[in-house]
Amino acid sequence: MVHAYKNNGYNIVLDVNSGSVHVVDDVVFDLVKVVEDKLAGKYGTAAGKEEDNNKSADSSWLFEELNASSELSAYSKEDIREGIDELLDLREAQVLYTDDVYENYVEDFQNRDTVVKALCLNIAHDCNLRCKYCFADEGEYHGRRALMSEEVGKAALDFLVKNSGSRRNLEVDFFGGEPLLNWEVVKKIVEYGRSIEKEHDKNFRFTITTNGTLLNDEILEYVNKEMGNIVLSIDGRKEVNDAMRPKRGGQGCYDEIVPKFQKVAESRHQLRYFVRGTFTHNNLDFSEDVKHLADLGFKQISVEPVVAKPEDWYALKDEDIPKLCEEYDKLAKFYLERKKEGRGFNFFHFNIDLEGGPCVAKRLSGCGSGCEYLGVTPWGDLYPCHQFVGNEDFIMGNVYDGITRNDIREMFKCSNVYSRPECQECFARYYCSGGCAANAYNFNGDINTTYKHGCELQRKRIECAIMIKAALAEEEG
Amino acid sequence: MKHVKSLVTRNLKESMKKGGCGECQTSCQSACKTSCTVGNQSCEQLSK
Repeated sequence: MVHAYKNNGYNIVLDVNSGSVHVVDDVVFDLVKVVEDKLAGKYGTAAGKEEDNNKSADSSWLFEELNASSELSAYSKEDIREGIDELLDLREAQVLYTDDVYENYVEDFQNRDTVVKALCLNIAHDCNLRCKYCFADEGEYHGRRALMSEEVGKAALDFLVKNSGSRRNLEVDFFGGEPLLNWEVVKKIVEYGRSIEKEHDKNFRFTITTNGTLLNDEILEYVNKEMGNIVLSIDGRKEVNDAMRPKRGGQGCYDEIVPKFQKVAESRHQLRYFVRGTFTHNNLDFSEDVKHLADLGFKQISVEPVVAKPEDWYALKDEDIPKLCEEYDKLAKFYLERKKEGRGFNFFHFNIDLEGGPCVAKRLSGCGSGCEYLGVTPWGDLYPCHQFVGNEDFIMGNVYDGITRNDIREMFKCSNVYSRPECQECFARYYCSGGCAANAYNFNGDINTTYKHGCELQRKRIECAIMIKAALAEEEG
Repeated sequence: MKHVKSLVTRNLKESMKKGGCGECQTSCQSACKTSCTVGNQSCEQLSK
């Protein structure tokens, strides 16, 4: 399967199954899909069987068939012949027209005994902001206000250690609500984690997500010492942020948090943090918010589409998608400009690791929710992930008794790219891993489906991310 | 090649041989919390 697209003046060919990326000229761009169809017509798939591959013979008949094609009339015979030969060379090197050979492999991989390697601790089901799009129901997760106790937190770490097998690095995110409303317990849990690491040969990687309003120097010092990452919530421009992220009294939080977040970023040497925003139907021009965050000096930026019910007033609508795609294009150009000027920043969704990215098993087997990654409520219930918290149909057990609903774990374990019919024809499946199970469930009532808007935007982001790689490679010569 | 410039990429088929160790980060833990993105993660084995 080949995905060929144009972006920012680049002709890009992604060989989906091998992950290879080729930047091509116009003649090869116009040939690549036609040649794929011709080869598939003759051999069943464009890859063909190895014994059928005869480059010289294929080159001759392809040239005969395509030479007179009106679609290629703009090109010389020599260019068409050269283009065909180069495509066949790439096929021979197994970096183009490769088959999907992973389905059985991934099923075997998923049937392995999984371990729990990450927990999202909902340390506070309470919040001092009243963000209008909060999926956590302003911190309460459709339940009661509650703070996690030290005892539950320690039991959660014990559960993690006990269920993590030989995996050494264990991730624990302090999430909410607003985790700083329960800061003393956060510290106690971190200290407990550090105290048991050695005896179990584990390494806890703690992270925290905060709205920043309660941040102070003492907390920052501790975070910088103990937390591998800190996620700072801010939506971008003041008017955009304050419209959606007011305090209890209705006033916005922008003025209060920006200086604190700038301090966090500098104190961490502009690494190991993210400012993270949400865009909604109300700020479709979200590239302006990313620019604003970059202009404030932030180097690690993540701004993401809101997840909302279709009837919510701020939900993204079908007709918003083309505008949002344009925004990603604008943002990609801005990203490159700033990089060239030596003032670059990272945009989370444009980060793509083509050389050192995950193996195919990881890419196809889903995010790990429900088996490798679990959400924990303040009172110790286990859920497939933070997004499911509050939906009691998904309670999987608790930190004391462990997982008691193996049926839920199995359902999530078996959810992957191949269990979602829509993914079979999608070029992005090796980059999104089949998408978010919670989004799929919230929109369709079934984790083995896809969320249309999310998929469309994901595809666009991946196209932009690969284009950026092409542009940077060109610059490096 | 005259018409094609290939970027350096990890061959996914090759990654079947040594992949699947499970040491990598869970997908949405790091920054997003609302979207499953694996393409931007790094392999723990390769980054050692």
